Amino acid sequence: MDYKLQVRVQSHLEQMGSLDDRSMGDLDDECLYSAEMDAQKTQSTDSNEQVSLSSSLPVAGNKMIRNGVYKSIKTVVFSNKLNLLMPFGPLAILVHKMTAHNGWVFFLSLLGITPLAERLGYATEQLAFYTGPTVGGLLNATFGNATELIISIYALKSGMIRVVQLSLLGSILSNMLLVLGCAFFCGGLVYPGKEQAFSKATAVVNSGLLLMAVMGLLFPAVLYYTHTERHAGKSELALSRFSSCIMLLAYAAYLVFQLKSQKDLYVPIGEEGSQNEQNANDDDDEAPEISKWESIIWLAIMTAWISILSDYLVDAMQGASEAWGVPISFISVILLPIIGNAAEHASAIMFAMKNKLDISLGVAIGSSTQISMFGIPFCVVIGWMMGQEMDLNFQLFETATLFITVIVVAFFLQEGTSNYFKGLMLILCYLIVAASFFVHEDTSSSGESKQPKT
Amino acid sequence: MDDQKSNHHNNKSIDLDDSPPFVRIHSHAEIGSSEERAVLELEDERLNSCDSITRKKHPFKETSSSDICHMKCKNSLWNSIKIVIFSSKLNILMVFGPAAIIVHKTTGYHGMVFLLSLLGIIPLAERLGYATEQLASFTGPTVGGLLNATFGNATELIISIFALRNGMIRVVQQSLLGSILSNMLLVLGCAFFSGGLVIMKREQVFNKAAAGVNSGLLLMSVMGLLFPAVLHSTRTELHFGKSELALSRFSSCVMLFAYAAFLYFQLRSSKKLYDMESKTETSDDDEAPEISMWEAIVWLSILTTWIAVLSEYLVDAIEGASTALKIPVAFISVVLLPIVGNAAEHAGAIMFAMKDKLDISLGVAIGSSTQIAMFGIPFCVIIAWIMGQPMDLNFQLFETATLFLTVIVVAFMLQEGTSNYFKGLMLILCYLIVAASFFVHVDLDSVVDKPHKNGE
Repeated sequence: MDYKLQVRVQSHLEQMGSLDDRSMGDLDDECLYSAEMDAQKTQSTDSNEQVSLSSSLPVAGNKMIRNGVYKSIKTVVFSNKLNLLMPFGPLAILVHKMTAHNGWVFFLSLLGITPLAERLGYATEQLAFYTGPTVGGLLNATFGNATELIISIYALKSGMIRVVQLSLLGSILSNMLLVLGCAFFCGGLVYPGKEQAFSKATAVVNSGLLLMAVMGLLFPAVLYYTHTERHAGKSELALSRFSSCIMLLAYAAYLVFQLKSQKDLYVPIGEEGSQNEQNANDDDDEAPEISKWESIIWLAIMTAWISILSDYLVDAMQGASEAWGVPISFISVILLPIIGNAAEHASAIMFAMKNKLDISLGVAIGSSTQISMFGIPFCVVIGWMMGQEMDLNFQLFETATLFITVIVVAFFLQEGTSNYFKGLMLILCYLIVAASFFVHEDTSSSGESKQPKT
Repeated sequence: MDDQKSNHHNNKSIDLDDSPPFVRIHSHAEIGSSEERAVLELEDERLNSCDSITRKKHPFKETSSSDICHMKCKNSLWNSIKIVIFSSKLNILMVFGPAAIIVHKTTGYHGMVFLLSLLGIIPLAERLGYATEQLASFTGPTVGGLLNATFGNATELIISIFALRNGMIRVVQQSLLGSILSNMLLVLGCAFFSGGLVIMKREQVFNKAAAGVNSGLLLMSVMGLLFPAVLHSTRTELHFGKSELALSRFSSCVMLFAYAAFLYFQLRSSKKLYDMESKTETSDDDEAPEISMWEAIVWLSILTTWIAVLSEYLVDAIEGASTALKIPVAFISVVLLPIVGNAAEHAGAIMFAMKDKLDISLGVAIGSSTQIAMFGIPFCVIIAWIMGQPMDLNFQLFETATLFLTVIVVAFMLQEGTSNYFKGLMLILCYLIVAASFFVHVDLDSVVDKPHKNGE
């Protein structure tokens, strides 16, 4: 079995036990299962066998399948307390049809997307159990930020290029500063005696990739700002598209590199882990909670739901900005990513408090790397195919923000240790960034008009 | 005793303040050999004559109250003045202070007034540091650390506050910036360079973790300065003129909070270090400081008042001096003021580096930069807010870019944890480049400087 997933399953099992000790924020950790789940898990493994048996017994099959569907829904939808927010999704659609008050529609759809994003991550993980480590890693790499990508694609379709750029940028910033800072801070508070250590090598590789992404973003912006492009308007676009292809290639190479080195790395950790963990005798419980086809179906359902809600979200953004009196850039850069990333945020903090800083780092920095080296170039290429003129010129202010942030974070990470003060510094840096965007007027977006949808 | 010496970082860090006087006396004795070195024009600030070492036994006996107290008080006053004023050879420059005032009243020749008051402030600044240390040895490590953290750069802050009162906001920004630059490049470079020359065989080592934390704080302050500047230069602020000011004030509060957290964090970790190490120390009773607590407080206030008086003349004379000496005000604020104001710290850092105590030098140089960047600059913004002056964190693009590059270069050099004379030389040469850039830099916001049209 895949040892990487074994580590993850064991970490799941650990959290189930310590559920009662935690008193976190409003949102529960995405891996938090209620105590009933323990019983349900064994039930679902039974139901797995039942479902696989049922496929060969078509007579009693219908009833079994209905049971299977019911259990599946129970597993996926009702197990997580975060899913209380799910009704906000349909509510947003209702409000939109009835009142068309954009502020509310925006807010409600945002709340509605949060649990869906978390469940999407869950379904992806479950599916990754069945595929090998290769495809599993690819799945995680692609669907990890599926929510942001889906929102971005809808915004691209509406021609809101600035919103795409700003929301992707904000996602990177919030992951690097806020999520990482909170993880360091909470971890340092829980373990005040010593500094927590994490794998320097991974952090450095990620920092290198982030710096490369900044380089890709910097040149179009500086070209534009210094008015030194050869063919005004066309040069940056061509350069951006070329750079995006290169960045996608680099990201693919990074995945290959990571998978190959992890295969070697994970053998000893897996063995060690199975000796040290208390749930070593749960080897047979590596089985995921839902079957392969169930996870594919749930994946599709979640993606579809997220797309629908994203549509409403993007439509309502302009109106919400006017209704609340907040600049669109602030909404895109700060509000959208914070709420969209809420589940990852909570899980990173929780892992840090359990002294598993490597996982927190993977969530935070890995996500930033993914968006900057995959998400942004991917959107440029999608825009190319759609005929939208999205380029990598994020305007000077945003590019400078990203540049200084990447440098600050890369510097903090290179030491390989963390304490609560570093976390506090990162959080305060995020406050400064957020404050700057609050008073930042985006001159290039005021000229943009959203293309009306049918 | 070597343990105690290694504990004494500098007069800037929060530290085990029982040891400094002891250490200082030690370094006094060692300086006997430094007289052969003809490296510095200015003597080390801690150079005391041999008389003061015997005199340190007196302070406790002099504070008793009895009939002969009056005579004893006069004695103690004389002793106190002797200790504070006449003990340091640097204090010869003290006469320039009153000289500046006299020149101002008689001739009003701004160039001379500026130079004389500058020279007059140098010994006062050094004595202020001395008095702060003495006072810190009476209070516990907590308050002592806080004292060092606040008064460490009191001179720069006092000069800045006077400049603010006159509305010379650009001068404030540039002098604080110049102080950071000179500490990071010039003082640190000279320390690395001299230390590397003296200790040729191996590379000197310093505490990477402390340097890393300071570099992180400096980067955070650069972040705080960068956003208002970029907002302004890209003309993307929401309410023109008001946005940057609001953002600057908010960022200043955040930075002050971060600095307070840094002090707290440093105190906690140094307390643990001190507890661990105090068991191995055999500290004698010779930790007694040289002057009593009340004397220290009195001297502190006297010196602060004197510095304030001279600063006023200094600030008033800047613009006239710039015209008279034909140097841009930017160059005076960024390069001249800090070099001269920091002269004593400069000498101290070099001396400690040559004694292979690079941690103390680093504390002096980088700790001072961090203090100004994370405390001095936001503090001035807040003071200006209270005064009603519109000082913000927008240091204009050129200055901000300079600071950004410098912080990155220094952070990069420090991260290795070792030093040699070549690194020091690189830092010094970087400072030369920075100084040269400011020599030909016209500050468009400055009232006095106008671009020279005829190639004067």
